[in-house]
Amino acid sequence: MTAVDPEVRIPDPLDTERDDEARLRAAAGLDLPRAAGRAEYAGFETVGLPDRPPQTERERQLFTLDEGEMLVNMGPQHPSTHGVMRLLVKVRGEVITDIDPVLGYLHRGIEKLCENATYTTVLTYVDPMDYLSAMHNEHAPAIAFEKLYGIEVPRRAEYIRALVVELNRVFSHGLMMGFLALDMGGLTPILYGFINRDEVVDLLSAISGQRMLFNFFRVGGVNWDVNDEFLSRLGKWRSHVLDNIAMNERLLTENEIFRARTRGMGILDGRRAVQLGVTGPNLRASGVPFDVRRAHPYSIYPELEFEVITQQTGDVYARYLQRIAEIKQSIRLIDQIVDRMPHGPVQAQVPGIIRPRPGRAYAAIESPRGLYSVYAISDGSATPYRFRMRDPSFISLQALPTLMPGHLIADTMAIMASFDPVMGGVDK
Amino acid sequence: MRLLLDRFPEIVSDLWTDEDTVEVQVPRDRVVDTLRTLRDDGDFGFFLLADAAAVDYGPRNWFEVVYHLYSDRHPGWLRIRVRVDRQDPRTPTVTDLWEGAMFHEREMYDMMGIVFEGNRDLRRIYMSPDYKSFPQRKDFLLPDDAADSAAAGVNPLERPETWQLDRFQQSAAPAVAIPAAESQSVEAGKTMASETRPR
Repeated sequence: MTAVDPEVRIPDPLDTERDDEARLRAAAGLDLPRAAGRAEYAGFETVGLPDRPPQTERERQLFTLDEGEMLVNMGPQHPSTHGVMRLLVKVRGEVITDIDPVLGYLHRGIEKLCENATYTTVLTYVDPMDYLSAMHNEHAPAIAFEKLYGIEVPRRAEYIRALVVELNRVFSHGLMMGFLALDMGGLTPILYGFINRDEVVDLLSAISGQRMLFNFFRVGGVNWDVNDEFLSRLGKWRSHVLDNIAMNERLLTENEIFRARTRGMGILDGRRAVQLGVTGPNLRASGVPFDVRRAHPYSIYPELEFEVITQQTGDVYARYLQRIAEIKQSIRLIDQIVDRMPHGPVQAQVPGIIRPRPGRAYAAIESPRGLYSVYAISDGSATPYRFRMRDPSFISLQALPTLMPGHLIADTMAIMASFDPVMGGVDK
Repeated sequence: MRLLLDRFPEIVSDLWTDEDTVEVQVPRDRVVDTLRTLRDDGDFGFFLLADAAAVDYGPRNWFEVVYHLYSDRHPGWLRIRVRVDRQDPRTPTVTDLWEGAMFHEREMYDMMGIVFEGNRDLRRIYMSPDYKSFPQRKDFLLPDDAADSAAAGVNPLERPETWQLDRFQQSAAPAVAIPAAESQSVEAGKTMASETRPR
């Protein structure tokens, strides 16, 4: 058993002045034992044990290798980690026995930046968080700040918000289907995914002027009203979007290989998913009908008709089917929104620099990855005193260590892609 | 809300509510009991931990750990605030109740330096393991702000070792103590234009 010395004291987390005894030991030539052998293959690399004592029980357990076990490093630039995430994988042969996500490679401290920015500019800072659903990122802070300041948003602005948010959900889910296939070796679906995405992105750029980081929401409304180009593109897109989805379904849903790779893999049961804080489509794929749009309605969702769809199996295939079902529901919502959109202003009267009264506000929305919430505290000045964002993909990643053990290395990518994490949101 | 008062008369304080949130304060040593009752009791049914965040109330005051809970039996969010001493920021973990609190608590430890007693995996999650300060505390200044602020030239209590803040000392800025956050908020209405200009 190659093990970290169990006698090594776990240091007090607050003791920042602790002498790093492992460094001293390493300097004296008393290096901790390292995993034997070092091989590189297709992005994988065996890692040695760290040259410092374990900081927690969990770390000690992770770095304790049984006979025949090996630590393998995936990432941080592995193509299937959806950004820069590192996975420390403990394997026996090709079977995973333990896994530990290492985060922070994309950490920009957005919360801290927002606490030093005015309420108006916060909405531009949150865009690059979850860069596949920038509209959702702006929605929650906008609601929170409106609660703080007591602004009523014009009806037309609420409808435009719901419209762009649902469009964003469509392309985010559609892209996930492509990435899932890509990570399992199917190169074609991602191309169709991007064709469909680009159509929606062009739509959104017609209304907001940007392709990815829209900067479209304002406190008290939205930046622009819908214009002719947007509406004509929307009609064109709407006329063939269902055909495109049907084609994607023919390509993947009934694909023999795809089903063999995804069914019965990474099964997450509903109770456990709630325990782990998994939300959104991933939770609904495990049979729990929790959708913030229904559970705690915001914006105009109480007036709209849609179903909260759930799947029963909770495996990778169910999470994929869940996305397709939700795209169809989103299109249903878009139809209703366009039909019922009222006339009126799109922006409430708001001063240039917003200084809400001291107070606290919590706003949660349903982003394509789950419950995305903002907790904002105002102290009466022009900047939020505390600005906290809960990103769903960050919390959902906790499911990986419980789902992966027992699967093969090749299956890690399918399981991870089925959770659809976006590292910009994970690392904030 | 009545239910809360009936069931926890001696614990709950500072009850406050707005359009869709009920907010209570709970002492630190009773937080795990309270949350367990709220989760398991049929009357409450707060099964989902929606958010757990830490707030720093200024260098001389306290931290606050804030839990947001969701129940399908009650219309609003429930916000539980737990006050934590700033000199010895320790509070019990809730990872026994919700495993999903693990990343929340790791983030709070990493960013604010709050220690959750009983947590099996309290490591840094964003910063590197050998990082020594806690970036979201209010006395951790960003370099730009340090240069701008009246406190330029004062060594912040917590400072990242990677930034050469001592170069600000060479500029002849007067050494002024960092004002407490409370006094800032009181004076904010008067000197808004000069103090809180948009950066």
